Amino acid sequence: MNLLEITNQTWISVGIVAGIFAGSAILIGALILIVGKVFKVNVDEKISKILENLAGANCGGCGCSGCSGFADKLAKGGASLNDCHVTSPEKKAEIAKLLGIELKDEERTVAVVHCMGGIENCEDKFVYKGNPTCAANNSLLGGSKACSFACLGCGDCKAVCPENAIEVTGRLAQVDPDRCISCGACITTCPKNIIDRIPATAPVFVACSSTCRAKDVMSVCKVGCIGCTKCAKSCPHGAITMKDNLPVFDYTKCTGCLTCVNVCPRHIIISRKVTAEETPENNAVEEKAKEKTE
Amino acid sequence: MGTFIAIVLAAVLTNNFITAKTYGICPFLGVSKKTSSAAGMGIAVTLVMVLATLVTYPIYTYVMVPLKIEFLEIIFFIFIIASLVQMLEKIIQKVSPTLYGAMGIYLPLITTNCAVLGVTELLIGDMSAILGTASMNIGWAVIYSLFAGLGFTLVMIIMSGMREKLNYYKTPKALSGFPIAMVTACFICMAFYVFSLISI
Repeated sequence: MNLLEITNQTWISVGIVAGIFAGSAILIGALILIVGKVFKVNVDEKISKILENLAGANCGGCGCSGCSGFADKLAKGGASLNDCHVTSPEKKAEIAKLLGIELKDEERTVAVVHCMGGIENCEDKFVYKGNPTCAANNSLLGGSKACSFACLGCGDCKAVCPENAIEVTGRLAQVDPDRCISCGACITTCPKNIIDRIPATAPVFVACSSTCRAKDVMSVCKVGCIGCTKCAKSCPHGAITMKDNLPVFDYTKCTGCLTCVNVCPRHIIISRKVTAEETPENNAVEEKAKEKTE
Repeated sequence: MGTFIAIVLAAVLTNNFITAKTYGICPFLGVSKKTSSAAGMGIAVTLVMVLATLVTYPIYTYVMVPLKIEFLEIIFFIFIIASLVQMLEKIIQKVSPTLYGAMGIYLPLITTNCAVLGVTELLIGDMSAILGTASMNIGWAVIYSLFAGLGFTLVMIIMSGMREKLNYYKTPKALSGFPIAMVTACFICMAFYVFSLISI
């Protein structure tokens, strides 16, 4: 049967073609509607509301695939609101209300680089001339730095930082605590895993990640932690414990007395008060440290 | 058996949809930055190709040819494939949320992918060069579309692997990013050109 030979007039054949289309369009439309009805998925309204209140940075700092993944996890109770470091406290309170949970007060955190081994302090073990990214450098014999826990200084963290909070000076990355939103992008990017979060109010942090023995650290770095435990012994508040040849701070106990900063023979327990506000007392400490190294 | 081997070789290597026919270039260049997403895209395209063939081939042979409205094939096929993918997305979302999470985002992207439309168009055309003495039927059509999809996936995975590797090499500033992807694509196509010399 030839549909178009029903008539030999052109305009009627055009009408027939249009009719075929209209008919099939209605048919397919109805089919889609029926399928849509039958296979309707009840999307949880809670999830879309949570998603509205999240920051929407999609930074992946929480370990989920974007904010929608995090919202999904939150609604199911598989994640804690504190995993997100970007959403503002007001919005978090609203989400907590939606979820019917109480929001635990959480201190603002910032990222710090646990390394002081710039070009002056830690030598290169070979000259690296490849692609200037930390990932590429690290894939070749664990990077060009003599210490295998040292910052490679190629600036992968700087490249991913959404707030431009990271500066690389003298092949050493440093985080500006005022700009840091603690999203965690640099923490996941760093191939050496030497960037970590500390509370924004933390008075001190240790600027070394080497878990090697004292002798091995001494041979490669001028300022690496040798695990002498002086800081842990001298701390009057018992805030420092030693783990893997490195001091670990319990910031809930730390009062900021800076005893550890003064006793550290390698000067790698950094007082964050010095960088924030230069008090004469701390300056004196710094000068004393300088004299010692000279 | 000979026909089967001929179809597999033709669909995957000699007449590969990306390298020989240059269909489906948008996902080839757009979704090939990561191997995981490239594989997801490839599998989604394969699935839609097979389903589209399963639906369009009978419609063409048993409805459009008897009614002598073959000239409407392109517009009809777009119609059918687009609505098919719409329904498929809803069904997958309901039946298997895990599968939906893995490839749900790619399905809307391929509603009227040229590779999908290409395979349905190709199968209703003259296939005697590949089939030889055997005559075309729905079984061969589905096998051809399945292996065409797998060939597509193969090239997607090769491309994404090379692009991932490229991140570790120095590229001239003018070429970094998308231009070097085009150069990579060119070399892949040249490598696949060797297969076109196979005579079946």
